[in-house]
Amino acid sequence: MLETFTEVMRQRLSRPLQYFMDICIRCGLCADACHFYAYSRDLAHIPSYRALLVKKLLQSKGNPLLDWYRENHRPDERTVEELRKALWDCTGCRRCTLICPFHLDTGLLVSTARYALLQQGLGMNMVAEIGNAEVSKGEIIDALKEFYVGQIQELEGRLREEWGIPDLRIPVDEPARVLYVPVVGEHAIIPLAKIFYAAKESWTLSMFTATNHSFFVGDTEKAKQAAHWIVQEARRLGAQVIAYAECGHATRTLLNFWDHWFGDEIAGIQRVSVVQLVASYLQEGRIRVREGAFDVPMTYHDPCNLGRNAGIFEEPRMLIRAVATDFRELTPNRELNWCCGGGGGLIAEPEMFEVRMKAGRPKVEQIQRTGAKWVVTACENCKTQLGDLNGHYGLGVEIKGVVDLIADALVM
Amino acid sequence: MATLAFLFYYVTPYIALAVFVGGMAYRLYRWWRAKPVAAHLSLYPRPHRRWGAFMEMLIETVTLKMVFNAIKISGSALPITAGLALHGALFLALAHHLPVFFHLPALRSSAIWAAFGTLMGLTFGALLLYALAHRMEGRRKHLSVPQDYLALLLLIGIAVTGLHIRLLHTLDAQELPRFFLGLATFHWQPVPQSAGPAFIWHFAFVQLLMVYFPFSKFSHMVGYPLAKMVAYS
Repeated sequence: MLETFTEVMRQRLSRPLQYFMDICIRCGLCADACHFYAYSRDLAHIPSYRALLVKKLLQSKGNPLLDWYRENHRPDERTVEELRKALWDCTGCRRCTLICPFHLDTGLLVSTARYALLQQGLGMNMVAEIGNAEVSKGEIIDALKEFYVGQIQELEGRLREEWGIPDLRIPVDEPARVLYVPVVGEHAIIPLAKIFYAAKESWTLSMFTATNHSFFVGDTEKAKQAAHWIVQEARRLGAQVIAYAECGHATRTLLNFWDHWFGDEIAGIQRVSVVQLVASYLQEGRIRVREGAFDVPMTYHDPCNLGRNAGIFEEPRMLIRAVATDFRELTPNRELNWCCGGGGGLIAEPEMFEVRMKAGRPKVEQIQRTGAKWVVTACENCKTQLGDLNGHYGLGVEIKGVVDLIADALVM
Repeated sequence: MATLAFLFYYVTPYIALAVFVGGMAYRLYRWWRAKPVAAHLSLYPRPHRRWGAFMEMLIETVTLKMVFNAIKISGSALPITAGLALHGALFLALAHHLPVFFHLPALRSSAIWAAFGTLMGLTFGALLLYALAHRMEGRRKHLSVPQDYLALLLLIGIAVTGLHIRLLHTLDAQELPRFFLGLATFHWQPVPQSAGPAFIWHFAFVQLLMVYFPFSKFSHMVGYPLAKMVAYS
């Protein structure tokens, strides 16, 4: 039982995970950081127990004394159930990594072990399948191009009329300074079309999406392949800047993984979150906004992958403060912020809905304490999850992106 | 019995030291051989990035950032503070062993030095008992495996026997340094008498710890900076 899992895990046990297996002292501090443990009080949700489960499987068995000492037993149905819970009920938010005195990385453990679990046939196949689609999209991109450009032109025409800007453009696949990589859906394109127009930016829309589901299931090879299409696109178009849409995990890979993944291939190409880019427009005076445009109490939710895991804390706040009259912080915030409960690919899996709603409880309470009416964030996953929480718990708030706010408050 | 004592005084210390050094080398080799992750696995904010990962780790350690994180996230500073105090008391109690290995009559006869040692020993012992109680309570009870208790019991054994020597015996300033110098230079000296009957137990437990150390979670002594530095990569 679980032989494939164990074998794959042995092969892919990287150095930080080896540290985890060897030096975790099981002090249990991490339990307090976990939003899954917060609702379930289930042992399998304690981050160090998740690691212990994997560690037990990696250890040899058969010596009665050692087995007692390690509390080892042959894996059974219960082990499988615990493992499933430990590895899929996790958003990879790394809040536990922050509180851990050794900074042991549960996010890394979970993504690596998910890969092994998928090989064993115990996975969330939907997430992996979307990842596969993102990889193969590059192979058929030429066939998709005509349809895609047609769709974008239609959107362009609509927006020209709606906004009364006859020279508005949404360039696709054209040489430009900025390559903007959206997420699925026109909501990720509309506000930026307006902002780029106002900033007089030389930009083009990528034919790919920033999302990288292979990353959630620890499939580094496929994650690299999917991202490589965008690298090629940027080079072909001579882009100097790659800007990723409001998307947490993708931004983290862009900022913290691409150096290692692509090395010289991306030398000289600046990589930013679109939030950083828009913040720089405002700072440099390339765009102007109506100060205090929104007289609504609002708060900002730090997406784990933008804040704690990529260091983008102040840019979104600067943008929100520029247009808000009543900005309220969540407590705790920034690197200590609670995860919304929707990360790690869970959004893509319908059967995870109930778990997500439970894991979002700390976030719901945080929002309620502020009394805010708008919850602003900069991550697609967070937005979907917050929207679901809003409906499920009857929060009565509106969920908005940082760039939505700026686009709506632009002085044209 | 006499043979066994002889072994523990003159034979096993060499084995224990060899296993400790070899074991730690093996542990380090295993970590070195494991593949690093091709990414920055950083945690933010990282304010002093230019100082390098090692300095980051050091700064975070001495500024007790983990205590503040624990207060902010779990709301309680007690377990983490007790844990840090346990390490502090351990290091200071170890420092108090200086006149055991070196001929330092001034320190040996100082009442303040003796009181300092007693205080550190008692603090260490008390915090070990707290750690044991803490581990047997609530969620940690289910999180713990036998090896977690074994590690604590071994340390408690060392603390109790050490305190027995500290509180009930006055050490001779020359006897113990001579014994250990003898061990180190293979010019074996007679068994120290001034430390009393607990000495053999204390010495044997420490040797056991040295053998056990590299193959247990005690290896976090070396793993701590290495693992932590990953978060500043």
